[in-house]
Amino acid sequence: MKQNASKYIGGLLLLLSLGACQRTFVASPSLTTTDVPVDTAIMADPQMEAKIAPYRQEVSVKMSEVVGIAPNALQKGDYESPLANFVTDLQIIQSKPLYSKPIDLSLTTNGGLRVPLPEGNITTGHVFELMPFENELVVLTLSGESVKQLFDYAAEKKFVAINNSTYTVAGGKATNIKINGKPLDVTQSYTLVTSDYLAGSGDGLAMLKDPVKYEKVGFLLRDAILQHIRQLTAAGKPVTAEVQNRVTILP
Amino acid sequence: MKRRDFLRTTAVGAAGISLLGVPFSAAAAQSITLTILHTNDQHSRIDPIPDDGRKYGGMGGMAKRKTLIEQIRQQEQNVLLLDCGDIWQGTPYFNFFGGELEYKLMSEMKYDAATFGNHDFDNGLEGLNKMLPHASFPFLSANYDFSKTILKNRFEPYKVFEKQGVRVGVFGLGIELQGLVGDNNIGGTVYNDPVAVAREMVQELRDKQKCNLVVCLSHLGYKYDNEKIDDLKLATQVEGIDLILGGHTHTFLDEPTLVKHDSGHETLVNQVGWSGIYLGRIDFSFNKTTKKRTDMRTALLPVNIPVTTS
Repeated sequence: MKQNASKYIGGLLLLLSLGACQRTFVASPSLTTTDVPVDTAIMADPQMEAKIAPYRQEVSVKMSEVVGIAPNALQKGDYESPLANFVTDLQIIQSKPLYSKPIDLSLTTNGGLRVPLPEGNITTGHVFELMPFENELVVLTLSGESVKQLFDYAAEKKFVAINNSTYTVAGGKATNIKINGKPLDVTQSYTLVTSDYLAGSGDGLAMLKDPVKYEKVGFLLRDAILQHIRQLTAAGKPVTAEVQNRVTILP
Repeated sequence: MKRRDFLRTTAVGAAGISLLGVPFSAAAAQSITLTILHTNDQHSRIDPIPDDGRKYGGMGGMAKRKTLIEQIRQQEQNVLLLDCGDIWQGTPYFNFFGGELEYKLMSEMKYDAATFGNHDFDNGLEGLNKMLPHASFPFLSANYDFSKTILKNRFEPYKVFEKQGVRVGVFGLGIELQGLVGDNNIGGTVYNDPVAVAREMVQELRDKQKCNLVVCLSHLGYKYDNEKIDDLKLATQVEGIDLILGGHTHTFLDEPTLVKHDSGHETLVNQVGWSGIYLGRIDFSFNKTTKKRTDMRTALLPVNIPVTTS
């Protein structure tokens, strides 16, 4: 008991001495609850719901707006696909008014295109599902050597689609590479439009890192896709893309 | 749940107060409780995550969070509600309305302060400027220098909140924007070294502002395996922060991480994932009696260690 008392005094002295050196006692820790789940058991606040409702309504109207019609679904596939060809084509077309110089190549990957575009009505919501990220279009100026590496990577991995070019896959390597109908010249540099995500070596595209030049188009990829589909619709055209055998695979 | 273990230690801490010679219940009656609620990386998740089989389906939702916060406010006198950035980007609400609804709802929930994440720059400085009138809470940013931008003089580095005489200093730190945000969206924003800035903040808040608790709202990220500054490195390199609330890395922690300094001072680091799936809650108690005996100076006693006498 006596020992306890001295312990108390000791404690008091310690605290006082701490006070004396101006270290006020502060936080006695009483962490009663941390990380409270916001789960389904909690009722939504009605006033907040009322504030959200008109916005939710507008989102729903905007997302269900039909922007175009696809006679056939645009699917993904190896090397090239209707979906990849559609997107890489429009990347060049939609960049042109903003990027005044010529663009030699256009690139996407299957990972960059989240879901196929369905047959029938294409809504804003479908385009958001296809491209949920805020990736923006960039134009890279690449050395001929980097371009060669890019084609080899595409030949090996199958999920990279490179537009405005043809090549032959032989033994996992790209051969007979033609850009705009002309054979690849490794001493020349080429411009390539893609998303900033892929340009930042997303999907393992390390050869795109450190390009000769990196220029932003100033257009989000999703907005480019939406605008392209709207323009097609305005011109009375459907949303289509063909697989034109840009890539030849040798056994 | 692992978190409960962490709380048990704290009960011992409370017992430490009783060493003052008053029974624990009396000590408790004499203490001031501060409840810190926090979110990070909300990513425009206005509505709950769609309950379609995906992970965390049905969880989150700002209207539900409001209910939860209101319940806590009814039970607790001293609540601080804080956010660590990336309020924006992730649902069409942001794409269509530019962040207006996020700010309005956070104002409705009565957030006390927030700091910026990289995605809060997604519509550039103009986009941010346009939405600021919808936010009734301040944005705190100590290491972004906006002085050469249209946002000059719009933000304070820190804010001191006083709750029943307990002074809580809160400051904000943002991540290096280069590489994460396009140059046109960064504009003239200058990023300054978080460690140097945090040291200045600690000095200012502890010595000049006489704060009892120093809280950092960080969007640096919890932990990287390289040289990049993160919350754990910050906690280690800067002494004197009591609590670092983090974001960016979308980290779910079983319990807050405790970083101990040689002096015995401890820094608590916490982060609550993303999308408002959880609301972080940390309660601190402050002893009224001892506070009265001294000047209001900084508290360098450990936050989570029992006050022992031997």
